[in-house]
Amino acid sequence: MSKTDALLTVRNLSVGFHTDRGDVTAIEDVSFEVRAGEILGIVGESGCGKSVTSRSIMRLLPKFNSFIVPQSEINFDGVDLTKVNEKTMRSIRGNRIAMIFQEPMTALNPVFTIGWQLDEALKYHTSFGKSQRRTRAVEILESVEIPNPEQRYDEFPHQLSGGMRQRVVIAMALCCDPELLIADEPTTALDVTIQAQILRLMDLLRRKTKTAVVLITHDLGVIAQICDRVIVMYAGQIVETADVYSLFKSPRHPYTKALLESIPQTGREHHQTRLPTIDGIVPSLFELPEGCRFQDRCAYKTQDCVDREPQLSSEVNGRKVRCFFPLCEP
Amino acid sequence: MISRPISSRLRRLLNTREMRKLRRDKGALCALLVIGCYLLIALAVMSNLISRQDCTQVIGSNGMPGFFLEESRERRFENARTSMLKPVLRALGHPDPKAALADVKLGRWRVAEKSLDELQQITDDAVALRLILNESENLDEEPQFEARLVEFERKTADLIKPLSGWDNFMQNAALLLGTDAQGRSIFFRGVYSIKVAIQIGVVTAIVSVLIGAVLGAAAGYWGGWVDSLIVWLYTTFSSIPNLVLLVVIAYAFTDSDAKDTLLPVYIAFCSTFWIGTCRVIRGETLKLKEQEYIQAAQTAGFGSWRILFRHVLPNTSHLMLINFSLLLIGAIKSEVILSFLGLGVKSQPSWGVMIRDAGNNGDVMTGFFWQIGTATAFMFVLVLAFNILSDALQDAFDPKHL
Repeated sequence: MSKTDALLTVRNLSVGFHTDRGDVTAIEDVSFEVRAGEILGIVGESGCGKSVTSRSIMRLLPKFNSFIVPQSEINFDGVDLTKVNEKTMRSIRGNRIAMIFQEPMTALNPVFTIGWQLDEALKYHTSFGKSQRRTRAVEILESVEIPNPEQRYDEFPHQLSGGMRQRVVIAMALCCDPELLIADEPTTALDVTIQAQILRLMDLLRRKTKTAVVLITHDLGVIAQICDRVIVMYAGQIVETADVYSLFKSPRHPYTKALLESIPQTGREHHQTRLPTIDGIVPSLFELPEGCRFQDRCAYKTQDCVDREPQLSSEVNGRKVRCFFPLCEP
Repeated sequence: MISRPISSRLRRLLNTREMRKLRRDKGALCALLVIGCYLLIALAVMSNLISRQDCTQVIGSNGMPGFFLEESRERRFENARTSMLKPVLRALGHPDPKAALADVKLGRWRVAEKSLDELQQITDDAVALRLILNESENLDEEPQFEARLVEFERKTADLIKPLSGWDNFMQNAALLLGTDAQGRSIFFRGVYSIKVAIQIGVVTAIVSVLIGAVLGAAAGYWGGWVDSLIVWLYTTFSSIPNLVLLVVIAYAFTDSDAKDTLLPVYIAFCSTFWIGTCRVIRGETLKLKEQEYIQAAQTAGFGSWRILFRHVLPNTSHLMLINFSLLLIGAIKSEVILSFLGLGVKSQPSWGVMIRDAGNNGDVMTGFFWQIGTATAFMFVLVLAFNILSDALQDAFDPKHL
């Protein structure tokens, strides 16, 4: 993984919010990179900073109460997104970086047809003529495997099923050939069969178009299916990063291990055992403990974990882990 | 959007669940019908079918008797005299009586062909009768007075050239509900007021809804100081009692050039009526802003003005529709109140003006209720129809009433 071919490089990204109880840091020192054609998974519990990360890349955090710490750097194809002006940002959003959302039921504007919405995005970012835009829109609907795209073009969102809508959402994100696609829990609201179809579709599209994908999810099953590399986040920090095979085979951080253990298993031998869970809750960002943030829920806690805060350590083959006592030797 | 004929889009609109629900509601359909009639009448008035002239022209006796009063002989004489004789008398004094007589008219009435002698005879009669009326202590003792009065009434009625076709119809219509204290047609004044009411209602409602929607959506969408400013603005405005503000603004115009137009009324209404819409749309926008399709529009790189006008506002159209119909009634009612107070419509007939006239002349006390009755009935039917319609709209478009 050389630095030069990375499409997106995030360095020391820290984002905070002004609240009534004072400033609070939602994500701290997050660094990662994504290359063209790669799928990077970001996994973690609710509130661990996954969505804040994606929104700061898009610069879509609420204007009035959020701030990005100055030494943060989001380098997208040579441009530092934390420094560019709003106009440049608008030409990047939707055009070079696209985003898809969790809830396909609400991600489409209910008062306009599918075609109108696709057309608007094309009109905004390309110089195509009217008929060219229509051809392109139908083409892109076809490429996300929507049957009868010509007919669907004139239909309203409420006339489509959840899976179809998510396909339209993906089509809208892809219609300007973005270089980076951020997918914020794209399959969470879908049932399993549709979920598999959508994941297969995304995998297919990135192979075809060499689009880099940042896939945010709390579902390790999704990660296992299509991701190349994984970042595990906990309470606003990256706790482990690894390629997907090593992560599932030999988790290094206790949190990763606990997460993997709490995936339900099927089969006779699991029939009578209780599903392991992680005790306790994610600490509030206002009351972060001294030392390791995972200490209260960690099975391997020592005095060291309370006294000092562990740093993200680099290991062989690109793995990193934030723990004094990493599990299973790589 | 592209290359779809208007007719099919209209058909689609009429076939939505809300519209089907609205079409099943018999009351709402009747209300729509009534409102349609009112709109047609307003259009007819605007196209000068009933002119302002028709409403100001003296066409009858000044002051009709009340319900409980028997017509006195003085009154009968006056009625007969004003009907046609007064203009004739004036024409006879003219250097060229023949030409002047041809020009004499009262509303749509004209003088029938009569010889000058005949006319002179009638005017002499009038003078003689006037003399008796003025000097007699007891009219019942005057010989032949009753017979002469009846004869006089017949002759003056005879002065009027029979009208034909449309003119006849209009003249009958004008007299349908009698005349007011100044001898003007009550029916025409009531009908003309429909145009004034609808005009004020529609203009005010459209402008207020637009102002309210844009400000509300801007406040909700951008938040921060924009929100603070707009919220401050409407709380300030709404802290002043509505009617007082209307009166103050209308009063401020009393000496300006625009005082005879409807402009002061528009300004007074629009400056207060946008508040309710603004509040509702702001709340809705706060909700919509968190919807993923708005966030999706942001991630698509659209500018915030574009998102505001093309994504947020169309999603509040149901609220705008309901607010429009509510504000329309509100404006009509407030117009009547302001005109009643003498601050609203001045140079045109209006229901408020009619009610004020009726009150000022003590008409109601003497049983002469057609003026106030006409104004009230016209207004009542319109307001009721709009209330039923906006209720039905709310039922049809409110997702909570499935």
